[in-house]
Amino acid sequence: MSLSTLTKPWEAMSYGFLDGSAKRELRRKMLKSVAVPGCQMPYASREVPMARGWGTGGLQVSLTLVNPQTRVKVIDQGADDSVNAASIRRFIARVAGTPTTMDTLDADLIQSRHRIPEEILREDQVLVLQVPNPEPLRPVQPNTSIARQMHADADYGRMWLQLYEQIVRSGRVMQGASYPSLVHGRHVMTPSPIPRWDVPKLHMAKHLTILSAGREKRIFAVPPYTRVEPLVFSDVPYKVEEHGALTCTRSGTTGFFMNEIPQDDGSSAFEVSDSEWGVKTIRARDGEGESRGETWYKDGEMPQ
Amino acid sequence: MLATPAPGLAETRDNAVFDALLWTLSRPGLPRGLPEPGEGSIISALLDRECLVYAADPLLMPEIMRTGAEMADIDKADHVFLGAMATFDTLADIAIGSDYYPDDGATVIIRASIGSGVALRLTGPGVDGAVTIRLDGLPDGFWKVRAARLRYPMGFDLFFVDGARVVGVPRSTTVEEI
Amino acid sequence: MAYVATRGGERAIEQSERLFREEMGGFDRARVDEVKKSLPYLIDRVMGEASLYDEDLAALALAQTGGELYEAVLLLRAWRTTQPRLQVAEPVEQDTLFTHRRISAAFKDIPGGQVLGPTLDYAHRILATDVLQGASYAPEPVDPADTPSPAYQPSVSAWQAENDLLDPPAEDPTKGNDIPDLTREPLLFPSKRAHTLQSLARAETGGVLALGYAAMRGHGQAHPTVNELRLAEAEIAVTHPDGRQFSAGRVKVSQAEVVDKKGEKLGIGYAATFGWNEVKCIAAATLDLNSPGAEKGSATEEEFFLYHTEGLESSGFCIHFKLPHYVTFQSSLDAMRDAKAKKAAGAPKQQEPAE
Repeated sequence: MSLSTLTKPWEAMSYGFLDGSAKRELRRKMLKSVAVPGCQMPYASREVPMARGWGTGGLQVSLTLVNPQTRVKVIDQGADDSVNAASIRRFIARVAGTPTTMDTLDADLIQSRHRIPEEILREDQVLVLQVPNPEPLRPVQPNTSIARQMHADADYGRMWLQLYEQIVRSGRVMQGASYPSLVHGRHVMTPSPIPRWDVPKLHMAKHLTILSAGREKRIFAVPPYTRVEPLVFSDVPYKVEEHGALTCTRSGTTGFFMNEIPQDDGSSAFEVSDSEWGVKTIRARDGEGESRGETWYKDGEMPQ
Repeated sequence: MLATPAPGLAETRDNAVFDALLWTLSRPGLPRGLPEPGEGSIISALLDRECLVYAADPLLMPEIMRTGAEMADIDKADHVFLGAMATFDTLADIAIGSDYYPDDGATVIIRASIGSGVALRLTGPGVDGAVTIRLDGLPDGFWKVRAARLRYPMGFDLFFVDGARVVGVPRSTTVEEI
Repeated sequence: MAYVATRGGERAIEQSERLFREEMGGFDRARVDEVKKSLPYLIDRVMGEASLYDEDLAALALAQTGGELYEAVLLLRAWRTTQPRLQVAEPVEQDTLFTHRRISAAFKDIPGGQVLGPTLDYAHRILATDVLQGASYAPEPVDPADTPSPAYQPSVSAWQAENDLLDPPAEDPTKGNDIPDLTREPLLFPSKRAHTLQSLARAETGGVLALGYAAMRGHGQAHPTVNELRLAEAEIAVTHPDGRQFSAGRVKVSQAEVVDKKGEKLGIGYAATFGWNEVKCIAAATLDLNSPGAEKGSATEEEFFLYHTEGLESSGFCIHFKLPHYVTFQSSLDAMRDAKAKKAAGAPKQQEPAE
């Protein structure tokens, strides 16, 4: 063996920033996460030129998956124009030369923080969700070693108890986003801090979802056609946010997840959270042609 | 600042291989194309010096060694290349991980003919209802031994390679011979 | 089209970075050299936390970030992780350290002697304000000792082990590539010994100090005595692919051994890091000392202190709260309002949970 077989020709930066060994480790762990849906797989989680907590887990997955033909969409809180979405999109394009898009239907890979787009994703699309805290048990068990044992034993009693206590105290489950959900009937997973509105989109979806927590070094996945069931009691049904009847003041679209904009007079206005859906709606209204795809929700309801 | 790097040949190939592996493991029973025939491109896309590998076929060893991976006994290996299988004995020793760390279950690559032979009905995550696939070249009793070894979420994950085609069967898939 | 502000986000982030850089001005090789020469202890701290020993790169990172330490460490870590791992150096034994400073608080004198070496410990910390009035400061020359201290000494714990005062750690035969590498695999618990020491070595100094101090103040089971504190240079011996061993140079290292006196024998805690950073080593060794048998969730439990002293992760997560969270906020608001409405409507209160 010689030094030259150990190393490679010098380059200022590897394609997609991550070097070969980082990508291979991620590939191995992604396969495992697909093989055991919803189970958190530990990975090394290399440093990337972005601060931890800013989407470094999602970014590592995206950088491993992309090639110069991959059309990338990045959203934060549903919006393509959010500053951090812009920053990540620019970074991926800069280190991997990928084309970018804002159209959900046009994208091959969608990296997102806190939302799943409103248009139905196809089987040739991959959704990468950024995850701040991968451990659904943390509110009831902050120690990761014990929580891991609980997953191993499928011991979710305390999780259920917590939900039950909330119902007793407040008359409902108080969990806002990150609603704990049972995947493939075996592992309880956090779907990342997506609103409750978005969780049913993961159930038996056509697309692959990869969830990656860079800081916490855990990766997990929901393959296509996989059961994702929010933890609910049979007599207290799962409730998504009551946004089904709200109308976007900018685009006029109704029946989707909204951002609430407080007004000077004390009232609230609403704007559709999926910014590109809003843009497409305005375009259609202005006679620029219909570009909207099929949506998961119809008339503000998720068909069963 | 630095210019956008272009992918080299190896990067392009590894990326395409992984795309195929991820796709087929996410959709068990649906084959996908590899950029070149055989196990070689899988070795290059997945293995490096962090891996412990078992190979039943000595012809694969030079390629595996080149990645820096270490050869290991089958029960220690995280990647197992069984080549063309004559008996199912080797299945008995493949690592299935622990309930604490199911990711320690091995990735197993086997040569087989896709599209002929025994018909299998697959159900589970990634499968829309059920999918039927034919696989030939596996020893009799293969699927029974696999089923006996799996203790979900513990288990191992299978890739069958037929020339430049690959099909995945993860541990989460239920397989019935029909 | 009234809706689209998409390019706005991109323009805004570009201009915000420009503003930051405009305040700081440019930087060049001369600035980097000046940083390196004038701030060696800062360079050491950054190299330790980055787990990358290169004074030029550390100085560059400091110059490029205007001294924003967390940003400097992030730059270096992100660069480091893309570099190939070519070789693992030979283990460094304590008695091969070229020692500048070595003190023990456990004994008045120790074999090899107390070597005070360079320190501000006994300096009067008076700010040299006259420098701002135009005075210049030149260090007094050092008077050499009559007999120089030995450059190489065994550790104090080695002497204690010989005298059956403590049980030395079991010899670990793991070598080279087999040594678990925290930068290539995740930290899992119970942590591998190598991972624990590596994680402490690159921990954030302030974080280690905070938790180490908590242990020292009584939130731990063991009160530390500094058995040995050492500032030294370590020879990096690597093997060429053709089999020859050669020296790749020396790196500054610091290490601390702390002991407790609870049982029949001394218990020992250890930490070492790149660069000279005494506070970090003593605090980290104290955590190591306290960790066996620590209660889960306590500040001296391995999982707790290793996770929470990882500076890149803690600082990143801290600043991530600046990112918009209005979707999650909205989702919680919806639940709150609904619960409130239910209460107002006098929804029948359900039974209390079983004890």
